[in-house]
This record gives sequence, C-alpha cells and structure tokens, in this order.
Amino acid sequence: MKLEIAEAVDEDERGVLTLAQLIELSDLPEEDLRALVDYGALAPVDPAAASWTFTASWVVVARTAGRLRRDFELDAHSLSVVLRYAQRVAALEAELRALRARQG
Amino acid sequence: MKYKDYYAILGVDKSAKPDDIKKAYRKLARKFHPDVSKEADAEEKFKAMAEAYETLKDPEKRAAYDQLGSHAPGQEFRPSPDWEQHFARGQTSFDDIDLADLFAGFGGGDGFRRRSDPKAPVAGRDYEAAVRLTLEQAFHGTEVELDLSVPEYDENGVVHRVPRPVTVRIPRGVTDGQRLRVPRKGGKGARGGRTGDLYLDIAVSPHKLFRADGRDLFVDLPLAPWEAVLGASIELPTPAGPVKLKVPAGTRAGQQLRLAGRGLARPDGTAGNLYAIVQIAVPTVLDDAQRALFRQLGETSAFNPRAHFEGEATHEA
Repeated sequence: MKLEIAEAVDEDERGVLTLAQLIELSDLPEEDLRALVDYGALAPVDPAAASWTFTASWVVVARTAGRLRRDFELDAHSLSVVLRYAQRVAALEAELRALRARQG
Repeated sequence: MKYKDYYAILGVDKSAKPDDIKKAYRKLARKFHPDVSKEADAEEKFKAMAEAYETLKDPEKRAAYDQLGSHAPGQEFRPSPDWEQHFARGQTSFDDIDLADLFAGFGGGDGFRRRSDPKAPVAGRDYEAAVRLTLEQAFHGTEVELDLSVPEYDENGVVHRVPRPVTVRIPRGVTDGQRLRVPRKGGKGARGGRTGDLYLDIAVSPHKLFRADGRDLFVDLPLAPWEAVLGASIELPTPAGPVKLKVPAGTRAGQQLRLAGRGLARPDGTAGNLYAIVQIAVPTVLDDAQRALFRQLGETSAFNPRAHFEGEATHEA
C-alpha cells in the first residue's frame, strides 16, 4: 500500500485572504469580524478598500477570536479587549523566552 | 459507547438550574481554557467540560442525556430501546461512537459548520492536534505519524467515530508555539463544500544543550581561564554536528560568539544564528605545581578586574 505523506505548511504561506475566507476560517460572524476591525483588533491590508483583504498572519488571531467568542460567549468589544491582553501576554512570553535563552 | 458523567465534570448536581450550569462552566473555562491556561492538561480538561456544557445547556440534549440513566464514568453501555425509539434518529450502532458525537446531531446540527441556506455547500470541520518534537527534529524537519480519531458523518447524517492515521511531513525550522496547517486533512465537506484542514500546534521539548529564541539558538560555552586569555580552537556541538570554533584571545565571560546561519532554518532559505555564550570555568582541584603557577601569575600580573570600583563613594561598616 502506498503511504501518503501530507505536507504541513506555515500559515503565512497562504498569502492574502479575502474577508469571506477569514470568516470561514475563524468561524466568526461577519458582523463581529467587521467590529474587530473597527476596534483595531484585526487590520485589513487596506482598510479603505471596497473589499477587505488580510495577510495570513491574521488567521491565528481571527481563529483565536472565534474560539474565545464561542467558548466564553463574548461580544465583539469584549473580544477585542481580551485579544489585546492576549497579544501583550504573548509579547511578554516572547521577551521572557529570549532572556532565558540568553541567560540559561 | 462509553458513559461520561457530564454533571460531575462540571461539578454540579443533576438538579442544577441552567444558570448554575452556565456559572459552573464559565468558572471552569476561565481556569482551563487553552488560550488562558498553561497547565499541561488544560486542553484535555477544557474539551471535557466544553463537551459537557454543550449538552447540558441545551434543554433537548439535556433531557436526552438524562434519559440515558446513570452509569460509572468510562463504563460501556447501550441506550435502552425506549431511548433509541425517542432519540436515536437513525443511529443504529452505538459501538463506534462517542457520546459527544451522538448529541452533536441534536437540534438540527449535523456536525458540519452552521449555515443559513440548507442547500449551500458546507465546509468540512478543521481538526487540531498537538505535536511535540525534539529540537533535532525541529532543526532537520521530520515526519510524524498521527492517530486521529474523528467523527465522520455518512450520507444519512449518522455519525461514526473513525480512526484517521495521517503521516505529516514537518518542514525544517519549525519553532515552539508555531501553528502549521495540513491542507485538506480535516473533515469532509458536504454538497461540494471544501474539505477541512488539519492544524498542528507545535511544541519543541527543552534540549540539554541548546535553547531557542525564535530561530536563533543559544548554547553555553565553558572555557578554561587560559583558553579565554590566550584564545583557543575548540569543538562546539551544533544541531547539525560539531564545528571548530576559534575563540579569540581575551574573550570575556558573558560574551556571545556568533555562528551565522547555524540556527533554525527560515522558510525563505536563510537561517537563524547559533550563539555560544562564554562562561569562564575554573578548576576547583589543583595540585601543588598548578597552585604555584597561579600564585606566580597573581604576583606578576598587574591586571585589576575591579578597577572600575576605584573612586566610587563607599561607607565603612
């Protein structure tokens, strides 16, 4: 039997996504996703464009938002605040990891 | 089918009101949600409580669950004929299914993503799996075999839990905390909808020598005092194998010697750096001759490592 090997790829290799693709990937309602953009939690490539597109780096943020919305029953504003804290925690963890790597 | 005690999982009585169930879930979710908690088994615990809440928060699902009766957690059981008649909805086999999958079909759900148009294409589920790698595997890339157990819906909408072995090639240079996507290895779509993806959460185990920060690697490099003073050519381990490293004369403790491109690979073909962090190790056991040599060095050297202390204001004890 031929063994099929699937290739794992980095999220960033998706390139640019449409709003509809980001909605599907995150499981966020369009209304909430648009609100997250308004609150600054997500950033389209060109906010003034008629049809928003997003770089692939936002997929992880949007999926996290989708999970938090579903699991904690949060509204868009609460989500934007939680995401901001999550980003601050991630930045602090990265700094801690860098310090630990250098100091042993 | 194995029984799960959803009430015990949420820590509530069978008579708990919906508000109490919601409160108990929220309290536990706040503690164990994988986006919040760093506890090793948080994800597993959260999945169990989310599954329990998903059923108990819905009056129809809760009533059906209650009618299953009480069993010991983990005990194999089969619903009564009465239960099957009222709730089974075409499900005839209970051997290869999970309790959660059984209730997923209640309330109009069919396990696919929600939709407004019943004839529209429906995307398949995305699956997630955690993958733990050694630093060597992350450095070189590797293949991992995953034994997924996934719910699959047949054409009648009846759920079956099926084994899904997947072999995945992990590219070289992945980092701790990175998420990878395996296209089209999630659940099947319906009515022409796309197949879901498999997401991998990568964790890289700590290494006894190397520490990673992104794609840069760090290794402690102990030097003897004379190697640091006079310079030396030493053999340094790297994840790709040992290399010769020229330590310049006058190397200080804490200094970072950079080996460009010896870190983890980046997708663009470049690589992070490997930094050797110098430590000065001193011998703790000396024979008479060696002690005499150090004493001679101390007596003849004008080196003052504390020169910068001079001129500072001090207070006598």
